[in-house]
Amino acid sequence: MSLLELKGISKIYGDLKALDNINLSVDNGEWVAIMGPSGSGKSTMMNIIGCMDKPSLGEVLLDGVDISKESAKNLTEIRRDKIGLIFQQFHLVNYLTAVENVMVAQYYHSLPDEKEALEALDRVGLLERAKHLPSQLSGGEQQRVCIARALINHPEIILADEPTGNLDEANENIVLDLFKQLHEEHTTLIVVTHDPEVAEVAQRTITLDHGRIKSDKINEMFGKS
Amino acid sequence: MFLRMIRGAFARQWKKMLVIALTIMLGTSLATAMINVMLDVGDKVNQELKTYGANITVLPKSASVMSDLYEMEDAGAETGSYLLESEIGNIKTIFWAFNIVDFAPFIDTDVTMESGSDVKITGTWFNHHLDLPTGESLDAGVNSLRSWWDIDEGEWIDEQLLSENEAAAMVGTVLAKREGIKAGDTIHVKGSAGEADLNVRGIFDAGGDEDEQIYAPLDVVQALSDTDGYISSIEVSALTTPDNELAEKAAKDPGSLTIAQYELWYCTAYVSSICYQIQEAITDSAAAPVRQVAESEGAIMDKTELLMVLITILSLIGSALGITNLVTASVMERSGEIGLFKAIGATDWTISGLFLTEILLTGLVGAVAGYFVGFGFAQIIGHTVFSSSIEMKPFVIPIVAVLMLGVTLLGSIPAIRMLLHLDPAEVLHGR
Amino acid sequence: MTKRKMFFRMITASLVRRRSRMLVALLAIAVGATILSGLVTIYIDVPRQMGAEFRNYGANMIFMAASNDAVFDMDAVDKGIDVIGSGKIVGVAPYRYETVRIHEQPIVAAGTDLSQVMTTSPYWMIDGEWADSDEQFMVGRNIAESLNLHVGDLVNVMGPTEEDSEDQLNFGLDMKLTGIVETGGKEEDYIYMSMTDLETLVGEGELDVAELSVSATGDELAGYIDKIGSEVPDITPRLVKRVTQSESTVLGKLQALVFLVTVVVLVLTMICVATTMTAVVTERRKEIGLRKALGASDSSIIKEFMGEGLLLGGAGGILGSVLGFLFAQYVSVRVFASSIRFQPLLLPVTILVSVLITGLACAVPIRNATSIDPALVLKGE
Repeated sequence: MSLLELKGISKIYGDLKALDNINLSVDNGEWVAIMGPSGSGKSTMMNIIGCMDKPSLGEVLLDGVDISKESAKNLTEIRRDKIGLIFQQFHLVNYLTAVENVMVAQYYHSLPDEKEALEALDRVGLLERAKHLPSQLSGGEQQRVCIARALINHPEIILADEPTGNLDEANENIVLDLFKQLHEEHTTLIVVTHDPEVAEVAQRTITLDHGRIKSDKINEMFGKS
Repeated sequence: MFLRMIRGAFARQWKKMLVIALTIMLGTSLATAMINVMLDVGDKVNQELKTYGANITVLPKSASVMSDLYEMEDAGAETGSYLLESEIGNIKTIFWAFNIVDFAPFIDTDVTMESGSDVKITGTWFNHHLDLPTGESLDAGVNSLRSWWDIDEGEWIDEQLLSENEAAAMVGTVLAKREGIKAGDTIHVKGSAGEADLNVRGIFDAGGDEDEQIYAPLDVVQALSDTDGYISSIEVSALTTPDNELAEKAAKDPGSLTIAQYELWYCTAYVSSICYQIQEAITDSAAAPVRQVAESEGAIMDKTELLMVLITILSLIGSALGITNLVTASVMERSGEIGLFKAIGATDWTISGLFLTEILLTGLVGAVAGYFVGFGFAQIIGHTVFSSSIEMKPFVIPIVAVLMLGVTLLGSIPAIRMLLHLDPAEVLHGR
Repeated sequence: MTKRKMFFRMITASLVRRRSRMLVALLAIAVGATILSGLVTIYIDVPRQMGAEFRNYGANMIFMAASNDAVFDMDAVDKGIDVIGSGKIVGVAPYRYETVRIHEQPIVAAGTDLSQVMTTSPYWMIDGEWADSDEQFMVGRNIAESLNLHVGDLVNVMGPTEEDSEDQLNFGLDMKLTGIVETGGKEEDYIYMSMTDLETLVGEGELDVAELSVSATGDELAGYIDKIGSEVPDITPRLVKRVTQSESTVLGKLQALVFLVTVVVLVLTMICVATTMTAVVTERRKEIGLRKALGASDSSIIKEFMGEGLLLGGAGGILGSVLGFLFAQYVSVRVFASSIRFQPLLLPVTILVSVLITGLACAVPIRNATSIDPALVLKGE
């Protein structure tokens, strides 16, 4: 059974159909890139998958449960338990240290555990920078903190929105390498991007245009580069 | 473009601007209200202190030296000289006439009651109606001058309601108890020059010597002692400025002053200059301040004014900090926007100019509204506490305006400094 | 690590590491609390302080003999004072009036306790100096003028001429005139000397009246009158109505003035605190959005931000209480030249009010912030 299934999803704002009858299923452990130009509906789709928005029409099945009709409060809980978010703007709390930022996610999820948070930072190679404030970290480092934070609660899906949009090439590679590792550990990854290079390394690329799926193809090169 | 940007800021940020305007309005209203109340509190408290009664007594010149002494020697003697009843109104024609709040003439004589006991009877005005040569008119007399008297029975004599030839009187509570007099009784008294039947209108409790006396209208007592047209003293209640060195020097001898000092003294409402002017207005009179009242008034007014000044300063500091705070907070909030402006090439000057113009425009709106709100606050305070309105002095407006301008600019300094030090790259990069 | 520990770790981090912003907010609250505690302290203490000023008007109570055969002497006066309690007494001046002669003119002399007159009649203006020992005396201005007496004169004061007591005839004292009394009232017609000197001149006798200056107003004074009237049979206490009545009126107005000013200033300051707190919280909408995206429930967001706000409120309150007291103290020393009474109850009240106001001020923007769509905040800057 697939982990995530979108069935006939539409999101309508007035006259505008941001998403128009989308059908999509993502299997456990898959690495999917969602591409498309601005205004193609990427963000709307990401919000719906990330439980931050609800579709106007259709069903969203996460782990076989329809989440499209849930209340905002329940959506918050589902997001907390099943989804790890990574943003283009990093969105770290600027007055908390790296490790504290990771712990915030633990705090809302269950119990903060500093040891575990440090392990997560170790995994993204930032153990020595754990006590630094975001302003003392480079963009790449901030994004890695963000990834550590997304991982800390062992979510079923990691949802990344333009994760490399604000990074230089060196940092972009570090982040993509991390994604690769995650994929090898069977973490489901959904990466929204407009950067073909980022999309290329994914297992499967879905291209959106005007709210519809324009193409959905498996990347033949996957795992070889 | 500058104007367009400002317009844009107002159109899109009106909520934040509203908060700033609101704060400046509050600060301004506080400053306006407090400064006006502070400036007026002296006059108001002075008015209130009038409940202590007269602060100036006017006696005949010779009597002020000897008459009381002679009375002690021989109570019946008629050797004292008098003031003229016809000149009383002159008090309201002196330079400081406006500061004369109340006054009443007095004359007394001893009368014998039916029981045979001798009693002092004082003739005075109760609420005498006076038409002045200036065209004004006023009611003066002991009804207001002796505000601390309690009327145990009956009521105050109302001179306007007395019928022709009716002899009314009020009796002190101690005397009334001793002689068994009640309000409404008629008592027969015999003076040195005549007799009278007095209708007792009320029994008063003055808490002093007066409680053993009879008070009656001036003409009644004059008839009893054959002193028609004469009075022996006048008590005056005047609004005065607390004494200073100049006033003390002048009080001893006005002749010792230089011309400039004399003018200053004459044209200030010191109790000594008012006394001096009364002496000028009434023939052969000697006016002296009643130290008990005049001295204490000065002390209390000084303290009250100082108290209000300090409270005003505190509230001004409070509102200044409040405004500074908010302006700082609201500018900090917009660091993103500022970073952007810088990134697209705005100089520090243009950005600072833009922000200052925005804030000052907002402040202007707030300050104008605040002045009127402050006006309202001052009047509320005036009416609730003193039952009269607070005078809004026009020169407070520029003071408040400069104050608010300074405070708003001061509040913008940390914000402007911050925005000048801002690194556009950092801002646009998220952090 | 428990959730609570993390809760406090986050709050303290926010307070400590966002120092400048928090200082702005703390300052606002502290100013508000300073004004609150300062003005309320002054408001509470004004009647006491001003009451002392009103004692400038002199005696507000007098004792007289209850009847012709009552024994009215210092012992009786002391009994009356015991009823009031010596702490409330500003001054007591007993007076005995007798006729003496100067230059063969009969003059009324008042025997009294001259040092006490200074407190019961502080408004006397003395040309010269107060008489402060025996064989010194002061004269009223009228007497000085009519008898042509001057400060520093050595004056022979004679006892009364009494045909029936030959031994006292022409008994006199040479006394030094130290000062001339000016009051603008009937006091200018007497001379003043110590009780001992008067007794030397005219022999022993009873008091005529005792003037008291009591630091109390209105109802309290009336209560003393009733109590003394019933407990000390020899004396009749009376209020000097002119002073007591007027004092209550003026004092009432003054207190009402300070009260209204306090209320107006407080309301305005509170609004200032509220707007500042609103600005401070509104600034953090994005952070609230982020926390929501990370799975924070509305209630936990409210808890965290309110926790921070309340902590600030408490700290500001404590700071303000101290500053407010210092301000009130300064005012008191400057205006009344005496220190102010610390109001212990005001401390918790100030802190509580600061916390409440801050809480209220934060509540609205925090509530609004929880209804933010996290997706919007995170996407659109």
